[in-house]
Amino acid sequence: MALENQTVGTGRVGRGIVGSVLIGRLGWTLISFLTLIALWALVAALLQSRLFPGPLEVGAKFASEAASGELAYHVGITLARVAVAFFLAMVIGCAIGIALGVAKGADQFFDTWLIFFLNLPALVTIILCYVWFGLTEVAAILAVAINKIPNVAVTVREGARSLSRDLDEMATIYRFGTWKTLRHVTIPQLAPFFAAAARGGLALVWKIVLVVELLGRPNGVGHQLHIAFQLFDVPMILAYAIAFILVVQIIEIGVLQPLEARVNRWRR
Amino acid sequence: MTRAEPAIRVSIEQKVFPAIADRPEHVVLAGVELTIERGSFVVLTGPSGCGKSTMLNIVAGLDTEYEGAVVFGEDTAKLAFMFQTPRLLPWRTVEENVALVLDDDTPNPTEKVAAILLRVGLSEAANAYPERLSLGMQRRAALARAFVIEPDILLMDEPFVSLDDPSADSLRALLIELWNRRPTTVLFVTHDRIEAVMLATRLIRLGGRPAHIVQDTGVDLSPDERLDREKVLAWRMRLFENA
Repeated sequence: MALENQTVGTGRVGRGIVGSVLIGRLGWTLISFLTLIALWALVAALLQSRLFPGPLEVGAKFASEAASGELAYHVGITLARVAVAFFLAMVIGCAIGIALGVAKGADQFFDTWLIFFLNLPALVTIILCYVWFGLTEVAAILAVAINKIPNVAVTVREGARSLSRDLDEMATIYRFGTWKTLRHVTIPQLAPFFAAAARGGLALVWKIVLVVELLGRPNGVGHQLHIAFQLFDVPMILAYAIAFILVVQIIEIGVLQPLEARVNRWRR
Repeated sequence: MTRAEPAIRVSIEQKVFPAIADRPEHVVLAGVELTIERGSFVVLTGPSGCGKSTMLNIVAGLDTEYEGAVVFGEDTAKLAFMFQTPRLLPWRTVEENVALVLDDDTPNPTEKVAAILLRVGLSEAANAYPERLSLGMQRRAALARAFVIEPDILLMDEPFVSLDDPSADSLRALLIELWNRRPTTVLFVTHDRIEAVMLATRLIRLGGRPAHIVQDTGVDLSPDERLDREKVLAWRMRLFENA
């Protein structure tokens, strides 16, 4: 009898935990999100200022920008710039990082360069690129990539430094050859470092692209923010900011997180 | 190509470890001459740190900084190496780890992998990632990987160390079984004297500074006798009495 009670009890506790985990993941996010909106609405209602619009006003602006196609156009342009700059920075940064991690002499020589570029303010790179190459698309993307490459290189260099000699010897003994070694031995070891570089990279590239657009491009979210700033059009600034945050979150949850889970599925 | 041709001829005039930090340069191996016949199971013993593993790495071609030569018989070029740690790729399943060492033009790779996994008792774990398995099972996978390529020469560096006795015993029995099924030239390093007698058809002891061969004896136990602890202990007494 006592045993039976215990079993029933355990079953109930088990279900309770599963339930609260579900509420925890979705529910808490929703509650926290709604509270933020409510707080925003409250402050806006209290201030009654043209410069601090409430959620309804911003929502209306969002809807009208979306309906006219302006929002999609500018977010799309920005997204394209982010994609190209991100891709360039990852490829070049990873190549540099692997080279420096593997070749000790090169690492010693180029370390100073890397520190120089790491500490070069993004704004300086952007201004210099525009000054030297004109207000062009190439200059814009180059400026973003140059800002990001050193970060990627430093992260991936750590990974390349710690490549396992044991597994390398194994690959040599069993005659894996270059391609098989790269695909099955080297790249999986670097995958967590690629992921870290990608994640940190996306966050940085997003923000720099906006600055680049603000300073010298005739379109994109950064350019729209620039116009809104000149007109003191705060609802527009917030509408674009929110659109932007949504897109970043979708990429994070829809692309980066599943990718990371896939790469890490072998871990205990 | 004749059967009489030896599988490996090892001639190490000198192997020097360069000076590291406060430790001066020193000669590890000197004057090591060894001819290994095809199909023999050669066990290399000696005090730890004497240069057994170094010698194995030289034979494997992983260490090329030595004076001397290692020559393989004409058709005995296919090497397998079972390391002290399993050295499986943690991001590939057991099955993938074993399949990866096969040449790309191997016929029926899937069947081959399945057959060897069945033999080492890992069929159930074929799709598991190595880090989810016990060390004993990881070693079985490493053994399967070594045998799946049907190597001409199998090098083993204390492959059963740090296992509990039953696991180590069952792996040794498995090794004997695999070796009887398909005789391969084996060079096996261990400092476990019982293990040495159990496995060896020829036992070589390294010793001295720098290390050289101090004993070279044949062990003619039958496969059944090798699994008999009393017989193995008696042999060990005889072989190592003046050690």
